[in-house]
Amino acid sequence: MSLLSAALRHTGRNMANTWKSQLTTLFTVSLSILIFSFFYLAYFNGLLIGQELGDDLRLIVYLDEDPSPPLEEEYRRKIEKFDQVESITFVSRQQAFASFSRQLGDDRDILLDLPPDFLPPSIQVSPIKSLDSLSRIKRFSDYLQTLPGVLRVQYGKEWIERFYSVIQLIKIVVILSGCLLIMTTTFMVAHTIRLTLLSRQKELELLRLVGATNNYIRMPFLLEGGFQGLLGSGLGMGALYLLYRWLLLRFSGSTLFELFPCSFLPPATIALLMMVATLLCALGSFSSTRKTLRF
Amino acid sequence: MVDLIKVTKTYQPDVTALSEITFSVNRGEKVFLTGRSGAGKTTLLKLISRIEPPTKGLVEIAGMDIARIPRGKLYTLRRKIGMAYQDFKLLPERSVAANIAISMEIVYRKNSFIQKRTRELLEQLGLQSKLNTPAAELSRGEQQRVAIARAVANYPEIILADEPTGNLDAETTQRVMGLFKELQRRDTTLIIATHDPSIYQEQRDRVIRLQHGLQDTSPPVPARPSEAVAQVDTVL
Repeated sequence: MSLLSAALRHTGRNMANTWKSQLTTLFTVSLSILIFSFFYLAYFNGLLIGQELGDDLRLIVYLDEDPSPPLEEEYRRKIEKFDQVESITFVSRQQAFASFSRQLGDDRDILLDLPPDFLPPSIQVSPIKSLDSLSRIKRFSDYLQTLPGVLRVQYGKEWIERFYSVIQLIKIVVILSGCLLIMTTTFMVAHTIRLTLLSRQKELELLRLVGATNNYIRMPFLLEGGFQGLLGSGLGMGALYLLYRWLLLRFSGSTLFELFPCSFLPPATIALLMMVATLLCALGSFSSTRKTLRF
Repeated sequence: MVDLIKVTKTYQPDVTALSEITFSVNRGEKVFLTGRSGAGKTTLLKLISRIEPPTKGLVEIAGMDIARIPRGKLYTLRRKIGMAYQDFKLLPERSVAANIAISMEIVYRKNSFIQKRTRELLEQLGLQSKLNTPAAELSRGEQQRVAIARAVANYPEIILADEPTGNLDAETTQRVMGLFKELQRRDTTLIIATHDPSIYQEQRDRVIRLQHGLQDTSPPVPARPSEAVAQVDTVL
């Protein structure tokens, strides 16, 4: 018999003896995980949508005059110095006219009376694609506006700002539910373990008297906390998956879901969440055993 | 094996349970600790197993001052000692087998060893039919035997038994004493606290008498039973 097998046996016995409080703790841990991971899933999908939108994202910087080659170089240098960009394209008045004309197609006749330099020259800046492209674009725009010779910077400002606020709001909820998760897992588990410890005071005293090591006495409680975390987070993630499938079925065919297909959390994230929950519960258990079992 | 040098134990505010107790017990020796209730026998056993620290004096086990053992390492001492408590300290909801197994489980004995040893002890103590009975359902005498079985199960170097025959009939007392004798043959040191003269009168083992926390240094109890009873009566 090893420490682990002895500890596992004691853990099983503890959990069976206090199954009512174990169930309460398990339910609380599962619910906390479900709440947190639900908002995290929303945030995760929001970021994915942002990334998809960001793929087509570019800033158009209108200039008052066609820049000379040295000035073009100066613009390029300043833009690249501020942030990483995927591409910088200079569009002269003539190129803008030709492009506009192409876009009009058969209606290009309306341009016949207009001079070919009536459109302003511009720089098309495509920022590097990343999850926080949307949050960076506003800062980028503000910076570009300060460059000399810039008339106006154009991008989908309004929707980006709205989208960004929604993402920020979800982020706050994720953080708050994360705090809730930490509190419930550690405190609830610590409380349950303390109850178990108190109910087994006589046995623990006896174990000390017959020569059990501190590890032998503490290990079952640490395992108990870990099990509660693992099982609770597993149930929570399972419930989240069911909820996700239900939402997909319920809203299948809606415009939003067709425009932006959602995805479930990647396995690595699920594993990480479960690991964190398990560690938090073990931590709660550890703090409880430290307080209650003073050897 | 066990050395006590001028050991005093005082409880707050000023109750002296033991005063200046000095004696040594050799390896493989069996010693009876006698005296009336409240004489300090249980306190002395608690000091030897470091359940309580002495107020003054030195307690050594195998030449080691046990007061110097850090709390985290106390298990090394406790594993050397098997103690049968006067209040048994059994887990009432657990079976007899589970109660006995505890002392072997903590040192990670194999299950086969634990089962064999448990059956063997229960047979020696006449409890073979009670293997799976919860401790709470046993009589006091049976509980006492289970406590003894747990104390000796893991072959400790020292056995401290606090009134081990207090609730037993003559026949069962003989069984218990037989078990102790067998352990003594294996070089186990035994310190048995008792106020029952019948268990030490017929033995040649040393008797340490306590009276109100003091070591009684008057001549030892004679070997013959009749004289022994007379001697005890005088002491009491």
